[in-house]
Amino acid sequence: MKSTHTQTATQEKQQPSPKIKSSPQSNQAKTRTLDRISKEYEAIIGIETHVQLSTLSKAFCPCPYIYGSQPNTSVCPICMGLPGALPVVNSKVVEFAVKLGLALNCKLSFYSKFDRKQYFYPDLPKGYQISQFDIPIATGGYLDVDLPVEFGGGHRRFGITRVHMEEDAGKLLHADDGEYSQEITFPIIYALQVDLNRAGVPLLEIVSEPDMRTGIEAAEYAAELQRLVRYLGVSNGNMQEGSLRCDVNVSIRPVGQSKFGTKVEIKNLNSFSSINRAIDFEIARQALLYSQGKADQIVQETRLWEEGSQKTVTMRKKEGLADYRYFPEPDLPEVILNKEYVDSIQSSLPELPEMKRRRYEEMGLSMQDVLFLANDINVARFFDATIEKGADVKLAANWIMGDIAAYMKNEKLTINEIKLSAAELAELIASIKGATISGKIGKEILFELMAKGGTVKGIIIEKDLVQIVDPSEIEKMVDKVLSENPKQLEQYRGGKTKLQGFFAGNENIERQGKSRAAEQDPFREIKCEKLNVLVRRNLVIMCHFISHRTIKSDFPGSTHLSSDICLLKGSRCCLCIIKSFALYSVYMSEAGF
Amino acid sequence: MPTRYYYYDYDYNNRTRNCSTTTTRSSLEPPDVPRLAQTARISLTPHEVEEFAPKIRQVIDWFGQLQDVDLDSVDPALRADSETGYLREDIPKTFKNRESMIAAVPSYDEPYIKVPKVLNKE
Repeated sequence: MKSTHTQTATQEKQQPSPKIKSSPQSNQAKTRTLDRISKEYEAIIGIETHVQLSTLSKAFCPCPYIYGSQPNTSVCPICMGLPGALPVVNSKVVEFAVKLGLALNCKLSFYSKFDRKQYFYPDLPKGYQISQFDIPIATGGYLDVDLPVEFGGGHRRFGITRVHMEEDAGKLLHADDGEYSQEITFPIIYALQVDLNRAGVPLLEIVSEPDMRTGIEAAEYAAELQRLVRYLGVSNGNMQEGSLRCDVNVSIRPVGQSKFGTKVEIKNLNSFSSINRAIDFEIARQALLYSQGKADQIVQETRLWEEGSQKTVTMRKKEGLADYRYFPEPDLPEVILNKEYVDSIQSSLPELPEMKRRRYEEMGLSMQDVLFLANDINVARFFDATIEKGADVKLAANWIMGDIAAYMKNEKLTINEIKLSAAELAELIASIKGATISGKIGKEILFELMAKGGTVKGIIIEKDLVQIVDPSEIEKMVDKVLSENPKQLEQYRGGKTKLQGFFAGNENIERQGKSRAAEQDPFREIKCEKLNVLVRRNLVIMCHFISHRTIKSDFPGSTHLSSDICLLKGSRCCLCIIKSFALYSVYMSEAGF
Repeated sequence: MPTRYYYYDYDYNNRTRNCSTTTTRSSLEPPDVPRLAQTARISLTPHEVEEFAPKIRQVIDWFGQLQDVDLDSVDPALRADSETGYLREDIPKTFKNRESMIAAVPSYDEPYIKVPKVLNKE
């Protein structure tokens, strides 16, 4: 379970903005069709979500659950349904159910019970699933959602019909048929394999009101549920691992009609973008049948989404509706909540994504920034901590969304794993704002902080990176360079104006990149970076000069282009320097340096 | 298929009662043995159906005596027992005797339990 918590924020960032992948031509045709459909028909969409809870033990027995462990190693008589075994409710399951119910603004049932949902299937050891039927633990709530900016943005509120507790079934796999024939004859053909590790794992089922109208809305609802369960810490909400499963119900009706159309269920949706695409496909399929007068061909059934062919297909048709013969679970007592218990859980809820988004909006951040920062609770916490230390809101947002996010993605780390602390980020921002260091140096320091930790002040002192902007200081350095190189000075005065670069280069050595590039007049006129920043074309330093100076080889920001050449990152060099450098080196060797 | 519920129309969480007599208070239907057998996935020969029907009927009628009790003045219980809220701490524990359980599986093909192929889910 722990490994899934370390998903990077950028991975999650990709999830809430599902993009329809298809060729431009089919995209056009699709858009035209969808436009026409949306004018003629209204789609009614509801979603049933199963959330696997991240408790340490199962719902009704103390077996641990570890995703990916060897089959049938985490089992006991209770979850295997052996005779005489009795279930006992895991208190954490009730706690998580109450947490989620409150976060979804539901009414809690202070008295609820478990029921048996009875059917036969190889992955259901007891022959029934312990669930909640008529008195679920939470009912009548809602979820507020922000649609992604690239899909037009906007707020939506979707109703939640109910939330209830239940247990998961085991896993069924098809064995290699091998030499077995396909017919069932004597002896019995064993062609299915069962793994009961997952049997008895606690689930929360969340049923939404049929409030969604498009694939995007449905996908964003699912993404928001994922965000919510991760914020609350009740589940890692991973669709790929199966800790978040969505089944979608879609029906359409002609605009203006009050009677609902026939509802079709879609299963096998493994990502938010599949939810989006499957719904769009199904709406189009049903609308086509309607428009052809074949509305009666839409039957109430379960269809599977085929990722490969990008369409829904019929599952085997069921013979009638299942009779689950619900009755109260006689082996389990009532679930009773009291006000103190509920209040204590309410007060322990973190700031939920919706609240965060509204607060960030009020701070003046753009919707794009808001959606990124509020997506992962750890990123949001980091951002909040940085702001608390007094950092500028927009700058903090930019650093986090830019350099920091890029580093996390490259190194595959979460924001909690990088060595940078929020306090140091605030310090960095303040240092740049107060012009103690340049922005460029700031980026270097940031990299150092993320990789190795430490403090901004510490690194500045250690690497002597304080920005020099005092003109008299700079003038002193220029004088020094000029005095140290009388031969070149003579040559310059004699007309070799190209040596300007040489002086600028030497100057740089003295400055060691601490100050920003200043336009330099060889005869002392320096313009301070604060007044006018101009990048000298020839701010490249020759290494055979460097060898005569005392420059540490582990110079901050130096990149070795060859054994002879060093490029000072501290100086404001354009990349075209590399070209001019090549010319320069030829010049210098000709000039006998 | 009528849902066989023996509840009143009762709001358990507000403990108020909406009075109405439900149809299940009337006499119990005779058992439809073939359907019961199908539901329970037990195969019966026609002879066995004939033989079992009256025996099952007898048991139902014996319990059916409870239908005669007047319950109008009694609050329905959510459940039959008085013990409430026995919960377990969320502490994982590995079951020690896994080997005997696995040994009791009729067809075990390490590491999976092998089962006959099933055509339809319910």
